[in-house]
Amino acid sequence: MKKFYPVFIALILVMAFSSSSFAAKDTLVVADQYDPTTLDPIGHNDYPTSRACSHIYDTLIFLNTDGTLRPGLAESWEFLTDKDYKMVIRKGVKFHNGEELKAEDVKFSLERANTPAGSHIHTYSQDLDYVEIVDDYTVILHLKKVNYPFFSSLVHSWGNIVNKKAVEAAGDDYGMNPVGTGPFKFKEWAKGDHYTFERFDDYWGEKAKFKTLTVRSIPEPTNRTIELETGAVDIAYPVTTIELARIDENPELELQRKPLPSTTYMGFNVNKAPFNDIRVRQAIDALLDTVNIQRAVFRGVGKTPRSLIPSATKYSIDGELPAHVRDVEKAKKLFAEAGVDPSTIKLIIRSNERKERIDMATIIQAQLMEVGIQSEIMQQEWGAYLNDLQKKTHDVFLLGWGLSVPDPDYAVAGLLESNAGTNYTGYSDPKLDEMLAKGRSLPDGEERAKVYREMQLYINEQLPMVYLHNDEAIAGVRKIVKGFEVDPFEVHSFRHVYFEE
Amino acid sequence: MLKYIFRRILMLIPVLLGVAFCVFTLLYFTPGDPARMVLGDLATDEAIKEFRDKEGLNDPFLVQFGNYIYKAVVKGDIGRSYSSKRPVMQEILTAFPYTLKLSAFAMIIAILIGIPCGIISAIKQYSWFDTITMIFAMIGLSMPVFWLGLLLILFFAVRLRWLPSSGFSTFKAMILPSVALAAQSISMVTRMTRSSMLEVIRADYIRTARAKGQKESIVIGVHALRNALIPVVTLCGLQFGQLLSGAILTESIFAVPGVGRLMVNAIMSRDYPMVQGGVLFIAITFSIVNLLVDLLYAYIDPRIKAELK
Repeated sequence: MKKFYPVFIALILVMAFSSSSFAAKDTLVVADQYDPTTLDPIGHNDYPTSRACSHIYDTLIFLNTDGTLRPGLAESWEFLTDKDYKMVIRKGVKFHNGEELKAEDVKFSLERANTPAGSHIHTYSQDLDYVEIVDDYTVILHLKKVNYPFFSSLVHSWGNIVNKKAVEAAGDDYGMNPVGTGPFKFKEWAKGDHYTFERFDDYWGEKAKFKTLTVRSIPEPTNRTIELETGAVDIAYPVTTIELARIDENPELELQRKPLPSTTYMGFNVNKAPFNDIRVRQAIDALLDTVNIQRAVFRGVGKTPRSLIPSATKYSIDGELPAHVRDVEKAKKLFAEAGVDPSTIKLIIRSNERKERIDMATIIQAQLMEVGIQSEIMQQEWGAYLNDLQKKTHDVFLLGWGLSVPDPDYAVAGLLESNAGTNYTGYSDPKLDEMLAKGRSLPDGEERAKVYREMQLYINEQLPMVYLHNDEAIAGVRKIVKGFEVDPFEVHSFRHVYFEE
Repeated sequence: MLKYIFRRILMLIPVLLGVAFCVFTLLYFTPGDPARMVLGDLATDEAIKEFRDKEGLNDPFLVQFGNYIYKAVVKGDIGRSYSSKRPVMQEILTAFPYTLKLSAFAMIIAILIGIPCGIISAIKQYSWFDTITMIFAMIGLSMPVFWLGLLLILFFAVRLRWLPSSGFSTFKAMILPSVALAAQSISMVTRMTRSSMLEVIRADYIRTARAKGQKESIVIGVHALRNALIPVVTLCGLQFGQLLSGAILTESIFAVPGVGRLMVNAIMSRDYPMVQGGVLFIAITFSIVNLLVDLLYAYIDPRIKAELK
């Protein structure tokens, strides 16, 4: 037996050394909900894809986590007129294929968004007329009409700058062969499982502090939490209400939360009786105890909105308005004024299959019943639900709306502007349309703030929808991960992440 | 033999046409506009119209079906996915290895556990081993895979932390999904082996073998097992075909990027070419597995071999 001792000792030593080499962690593993649909920045309009693109590409301007803007690929900019923006491009920026960033790439990237390839994001890009190349490092963006929110929209995924040569060479397969200027370059993408990016060593800005970034797609919220608990992933998002406590109680993990500029609402079909009567809408709003509905369903996550422009967005007056209070007497009075007997109303509350929405609908159903309104909840699969909403034959429906661009215009226009594709309430009001147009035509400042203040008060009086919930962006993070900050638009960045020794 | 194989492959054609027609009809009547699902709800009406024109979604039903079959048969092209823009075939072929691996592991586990358990249960009928095995087989058969999957995750991933709870890239990650998927097959293989063995053990030739003084291990292992195995092989084949096409739940729970999950996502996003391609692919796989099983009989059972000629 004795002659085996040296072998044992050698084995133990080898094991000791090999385990100590794990200390220098050089791979960040992240769990996201879904896989990206493509890695072409204009080929989508969803969060997981925006996140994936944000690691590979850079936009001309960057968004700070507090909502302000800072220079990105554009070193500086100047508004020549209301609709001509001059931008000076940073010199010496390298694409992952070794090419230098030139004005031509910027022109190509932005104008490409207005081709059929960019139909997902036309809503942002449609007002761009063309991009003029002044010299290799200067461009002028010419707009078709005055549209200040357009400038903020450049921080959205659609504003990512691609390499002209690479896109033209790859054709239809570009979505799998992305070439950008971002801090990470593409390595592999096992569809449905994970994608892996590697640090780009020639990055123009602060280089990433770790070598490999792996993002796994784990659709089950419980599985994301388990992987985070076991240390298989370092950061996991989104975190659902049910998982909150488990992460919070775990000493190895921390929660990061930030209000999200999104609104869940119950919309009325304002072209259908009795919801075409503003008093009926107001009565139903007064009848519902929205504050407690939100509390009961979301248990401490998010809050009940008081304005259609979410509180984290500029010009929101959400914080100044009083909380919604349930007032059944007021509701009865309004019904009487409108000449509608609530016990004759029968309606269908539609929703997709999201559990929280069904829960809210169930409480709403009970509260409506208190004055005799009979309602039925209809649950539909997402595709069928959207299809039915397009037909505009519904009564009331539960839906959400999120901002991906830091401008209040997007919070209102998509939902309530006449004929907007996502205006499912069918609301059409020249007065509101005019306010929206005015808001878009004004540069940031007091005058613009005033327009949006009036707009919010006006919508609160018109009530084409009842506000139900402002969500939060929540990520679970292992405590050894430092420098990560949850992004208020859910496009989380890992540019500054490092591991604690 | 070759003639038989050829005939079987020929028979695939009406089967596939039928499957394609069924899927096409179902999708046609499913609510939800693919153009809107693919382009997102912010897409303009012109973009939607353009998409529908380009993909031929405005054509009459039979024209759409005809075009699809024409392209598939003449050009071997089953289209590109609406959402990823990649060829459907390529998408399926990247996902298929995961499903194949998962099903193969599950099948191997089922055979390695199921057949020995079945044999022992049959030889020692009504023993405690038999009783316990049959109880477990009953549980395994009735336990839905999503429930078993979650229990396995809770126990092995959360409590013991031995195995990862999702993914499929390392061997360790493959264990839980394979076991979860195998549970029903194990039970079925065990029960089938047991009942088939019981039948054979009572046959005259087994008594003869014993009477002539043959060793018990050879009586069971050669005389009995070989004859008892035919229904088990049929079952394994059918099970394998089913595992290949029906691992959808397991794939979703354990986040395995296989064909099942690909199809579910495609259905959710109304990615028509992807759904059609996926179903056709599964139909072909299923038929081929069945064909292989039929051919396998010939090697196990000389009587069938004679028939095939």
